[in-house]
Amino acid sequence: MSDLDDLPPAPDAAGTSLDGTKVFVITAEENAALCRSTGIEPATDGTAHPIYYYIATQVAMGKTVAGVCEACEFDVEDGPMMGSSGVRFDAPLKVGESYKVTGEILSLVRKRSRKLGVMDVLTYRLRLHLLDGTRVLETDNVWVLPRKEFAA
Amino acid sequence: MSYAIGDALPPFTIESVSPEAMKQWAVFLADPNPIHLDVEVVKAKGLGDRVINQGPINVAYMMNMLMRAFPGGRIKTMDSRFLDNVYGSDRAVVTGKVAAIDGNVVTCEFTLDVDGRGTVNSGTAIVEI
Repeated sequence: MSDLDDLPPAPDAAGTSLDGTKVFVITAEENAALCRSTGIEPATDGTAHPIYYYIATQVAMGKTVAGVCEACEFDVEDGPMMGSSGVRFDAPLKVGESYKVTGEILSLVRKRSRKLGVMDVLTYRLRLHLLDGTRVLETDNVWVLPRKEFAA
Repeated sequence: MSYAIGDALPPFTIESVSPEAMKQWAVFLADPNPIHLDVEVVKAKGLGDRVINQGPINVAYMMNMLMRAFPGGRIKTMDSRFLDNVYGSDRAVVTGKVAAIDGNVVTCEFTLDVDGRGTVNSGTAIVEI
């Protein structure tokens, strides 16, 4: 018997589309400000800071963070936490380029941890594309959603 | 420049994590979560007594270390784990080493540490040089 048998299953969120409709453009001005805010100067070859993998996909996906949480039947006010983030680049990100996002929730798995109690582990995948559909990168993010309502 | 397995990479240091940068990132991320902006909210939530750096900024610090270590190189893949928070005014240092080399592709392992609390992020990356 699992120690989760006394709990309801995690909501069935897998497959929820995160396809976006917004076009995301990395401006030279913002890229420069972002680079300097992290302690470096912007590149001079037209490439943007690679952390835009996260920013562009997160901002231009089809749901807000609150919306993603809602799809998981989780109140964003309860404090989702980043667990991990991975990215695979097919091409560098460029200043002035236009991008769009596709993606989906891959899984939502209920677990029990000593530190956090009952939590749902959310994994979602986002892809950044040029407007002609060419994929530029793919990223998987894992969030921990602490389920305070199941606290002992 | 040549590299060998086990080589330490030059550290990348943020002497004092900036609350002003967090305000900028709230705009970049289109996410005005007050735990990054208002210390009173952080206190009310029992999360500490300083504003909390947005997680992606910590990833950016680690990317900066890689870009400085491999000028002209390209990060092909990167995986980051978030282990603890980074707070405003923390001194944060990224250190890393070469874990594997295959032709012009270097695999690196690295951590982000803050003074007094140890490792708060860790990661691996493959860099094409």
